[in-house]
Amino acid sequence: MSHYPTAGRWTTCSTCGRHVHASQWGQWRQCPYCHTWQRLTAAQRLAQLVDADSFKPLPMPERPQNQLDFPGYSEKLTRATQSSGLTEAVVIGTATLDSWPAVMVVMDSHFMMGTLNTAVARRIIQALKVGEQRHLPVIIVTSSGGARMQEGLYALVGMNLILAAVARLAAVPVPLITVLTDPTMGGVSASFAFKGDVVLAETGATIGFAGPRVIQQTQPHPLPADFQSAANLYAAGAVDAVIDRPQLRARLVTILASYGYREGVQHG
Amino acid sequence: MDKRLQQLRAADRLSAPLVIQALLPTFVPLHGDRVLGDAPALTAGFGRTSTDQAITVLGIDRGSDTTSRRQKNGGALTVPGYRTALRVVDHAEKFGMPVVSLLNMPGADASPASEAHGQSQAIADLIAAMGQLTVPNIVVFLGEGHSGGALAFANANRLIMLDDALFNVASPEAVAAILHGQQTVSDAIDLLPMTAAELHQRGLVDRVLAHQQPDLIAALIQQLQLLLQPLQTMTPTDLIAQREAKFQQFLAQWPLN
Repeated sequence: MSHYPTAGRWTTCSTCGRHVHASQWGQWRQCPYCHTWQRLTAAQRLAQLVDADSFKPLPMPERPQNQLDFPGYSEKLTRATQSSGLTEAVVIGTATLDSWPAVMVVMDSHFMMGTLNTAVARRIIQALKVGEQRHLPVIIVTSSGGARMQEGLYALVGMNLILAAVARLAAVPVPLITVLTDPTMGGVSASFAFKGDVVLAETGATIGFAGPRVIQQTQPHPLPADFQSAANLYAAGAVDAVIDRPQLRARLVTILASYGYREGVQHG
Repeated sequence: MDKRLQQLRAADRLSAPLVIQALLPTFVPLHGDRVLGDAPALTAGFGRTSTDQAITVLGIDRGSDTTSRRQKNGGALTVPGYRTALRVVDHAEKFGMPVVSLLNMPGADASPASEAHGQSQAIADLIAAMGQLTVPNIVVFLGEGHSGGALAFANANRLIMLDDALFNVASPEAVAAILHGQQTVSDAIDLLPMTAAELHQRGLVDRVLAHQQPDLIAALIQQLQLLLQPLQTMTPTDLIAQREAKFQQFLAQWPLN
């Protein structure tokens, strides 16, 4: 995993390539030279967003497997599990944000680029079901390259099944808030990412459907540097706000407080 | 190119407009999304069958010669195509008509324009709308259909495939690409379940039709009518539930451990 922080005090900024000392990243994991926010692990993201000690993981029994015997996939899964310490590319649980309760779904790009597979889809559906049944707002932080090709159509149908769960959440209604972080692409972008009642994007995130390299191959001229950037999507009216990482928690608290959903109170 | 893919992408391949012509003696085309424009690869509208049944159709084809292929973007639907389809399924719900989609399309359109027009949202909206459709829907894979773009039409009560058609998370070329040239595109077709036979055996596809038969169009129309009949007595709630259950059962084949 190229952008995963490896052992040692010095790491390379994946954007500008400068060497950055552990003490220089600071709590927001921002490069002191190019000011890019580095991709966070799910644990780092949760620590920044939710009240201390409030996160309670929901059951996540599914472990990935290479059911179709796709070449090289078993090895990739083993490597991803070892390097990330995760069992799959998403973490689900309940938490509070400034005492407002929510179901948290946090994708982690350090596990096979956060790709959507059978286990990830099941976890997200489970989280949406908890939100629906307990009338808890659901916050999904996306970070994904899209559907995981190694699981074929089994991965693709995660898209329509998650959207069916989103429709049930909306029918209650329970608010869905999506936070699009770097990267949000392909099957995640084209299913639940933009289905939030409020859609936020983190500053600097690349968000789109087809990957920039694939699109570049079809174009005679170089793509602009800000192609598929969060700022561009905001200008196009595709997201409600672009938020700097240090302000993300406060914005989510404002949104939750504005909806006013409290645990144990029936809404809708 | 792989022989199987050549066959699916051939100029004389059975196309959606031909099926629509035979299925609907009276046909009213609906054109454009009313906001951005139109995607020429999409033939959409409604009409009546010879058995007096009103049906809405969404057909996607690649075009049959250089000019029409360029015009239709090789079957890669652009954003107005998904948005037009959304408008047309709304209309189908309003008048209680079943929706039949006929596909031969590559993966999604990779272009700055599609990104700028919100391809992700357009596909997501159509997948969601098809899932919640209160009228029956059926998809027919006349050729290929890959990725979220095809799924938007395939989120249906019944799936039909011609015996040599393909439906996958990504094109065989894209599957071969993630293996860095260790496997050919032909090998890639066999690495994942994407053929009609494989998907029928796995329960996702309901009917497989031989592409080589004397009157393929008549056979297809007969299958459509057979499959539509039981769906038309179902309530909207049951149609929505059946659609989700179909894909849930497919996902459930991937074991938990």
